[in-house]
Amino acid sequence: MNIKRKRFGENSLFLLPSIVLTLALGIYPLLWMLRYMFYDYAGYGEALFIGLDNFRRLARDSMFWESVGNTFIYAGGKLLLTLPISLLLAVILNGRLRGSNLLRGIYFMPTVISTAVISVVFYNIFNSYNGMVNTLLLKLHLISQPVDWLGPKYAMLTVILVAVWGAVGNYMLLFLAGLQSIPQDLYESAAIDGANAGKRFWHITLPMLAPVAQMVIMLAIIASLKGYESIMVITEGGPIGKTEVMYLYLYKLLFPVSTGSPVTQQLGYGSAVGFATALIVGGITGLYFFLSRKMNKVY
Amino acid sequence: MWLFLLVTALLTLFPLVMTVSGSFKTGAEMMTGGSLLPAKLQFANYAEAWKQANFARYTWNSAFVSIMVTAGTLLVASMAAYVADRRDFPGKSLYVTVQASMMFISVGAIVLRPQFDLMVALHLNTTLWGVILILISAHSSTFFMLQGFFKAIPRELDEAAMVDGSGFIRTFFRIILPLLTPGLGVAGLFAFRHSWNEYILPLVFTMTSPKLQTLTVGLANLRYGSSAAMQIHLMMAGACLSILPMLLAYILANKTFIQVTAGSVKG
Repeated sequence: MNIKRKRFGENSLFLLPSIVLTLALGIYPLLWMLRYMFYDYAGYGEALFIGLDNFRRLARDSMFWESVGNTFIYAGGKLLLTLPISLLLAVILNGRLRGSNLLRGIYFMPTVISTAVISVVFYNIFNSYNGMVNTLLLKLHLISQPVDWLGPKYAMLTVILVAVWGAVGNYMLLFLAGLQSIPQDLYESAAIDGANAGKRFWHITLPMLAPVAQMVIMLAIIASLKGYESIMVITEGGPIGKTEVMYLYLYKLLFPVSTGSPVTQQLGYGSAVGFATALIVGGITGLYFFLSRKMNKVY
Repeated sequence: MWLFLLVTALLTLFPLVMTVSGSFKTGAEMMTGGSLLPAKLQFANYAEAWKQANFARYTWNSAFVSIMVTAGTLLVASMAAYVADRRDFPGKSLYVTVQASMMFISVGAIVLRPQFDLMVALHLNTTLWGVILILISAHSSTFFMLQGFFKAIPRELDEAAMVDGSGFIRTFFRIILPLLTPGLGVAGLFAFRHSWNEYILPLVFTMTSPKLQTLTVGLANLRYGSSAAMQIHLMMAGACLSILPMLLAYILANKTFIQVTAGSVKG
């Protein structure tokens, strides 16, 4: 009995910091949100219970739904560029290649650099009147006039390119890990049977990589739906809301932002938006998981 | 194939090269854009950024936050992971499930608000300790990483130590933890990278107290300065100051970094 009590004491001592921190800063905020999404609460003054009014407002909030659309464009564009490039890099670097370690190091480098800091750099690089991209393109006579990379027409493309720059190395590495678990003799016997590189890729690499790829793609989907840090630094959601994504809109509802933003702080409504946003991200992830499992069964 | 590899590598390096070269240019040179290399190396940019743009302060704040978070995360997560690996306790599976879900549940900015309010209530919003505590509270990935490392240390070792009269706490700190050094190093590297690069959290906490800004926040805020356009060369010098320590750590620990990240998908 005594030993039991002593053990319990020791266990509690070791677990306490973790449990307290998780409860206070992980669980409590979630409960807070679940409560305040039924309140009219600006962040100061009194909180007023209003039932489902926040969700009615949400249904009619065109700015929110635009941000949902923008999130899909942003995430879709990012995934469509990132995944093929990173897979291709991984497949090439998986072979015996001189300098492959150096290249891996280079491609992976962006992931150790702060998104916010590199976004400041990109902001200057894509600047329309003295940005380095425009200067370079002008010098090469590829364009005759500076392109307004951060203007309404191209801002989304620009933030997607920045996101791709930051993500390719990460997914390359995850794919590479998956590729290295494919037994080498499969390739050797296929080569003996006369399968060329393309055939080996389609009939060995892709099917064998499928389980890993399924997980990598899911991580990529979640990350691209959730990313807003670099958009916040580069465009702040502008111009005219063209790059406003869900989480950025949410942020603006919860914290005072620089003047000029049409979004005003509203914690109660923000909680409802946060809940809806989490549902959308969760729903898409769940849907992807369901569909990709089904596809696995077909194969 | 080589062309693709080369172009991708160049595109990856391009912004970094531009940052480093920009950090040595004059303001006027930056304004006209253009040249890849600076006409003359302006080391003064660094001195100016360090002093005038307050980067000395930002660097200290960043270092303080990152070191505290790394140490705190390792301590909290290693103690919890040790007990979770070696012992049974009521509610163990619930605890582990909650830790696992903490890695996936994220409502983004929304949890920041109650976290911030809580720190205000504790009067921690005027120091960097609020940021530090919140970052330590997100220790679930470190927890699972360290649990994996604990599994590799034979239980007989703890038992032998205990038989020799070493208490539980002493066994952990004196015998098990030193054996875990490689694992702690890797987990620490990740925690350090994460806290050094964190932007939104310190941004929220330092809105009213610029003295507490970290490198990421201070640098991004330069953008809103009234004469931001004139200061691009300073921004680039500042960017170098904030990127270089991480980059250096990465180059030194390149192998570990890549191996561990690669290993993390195999589960």
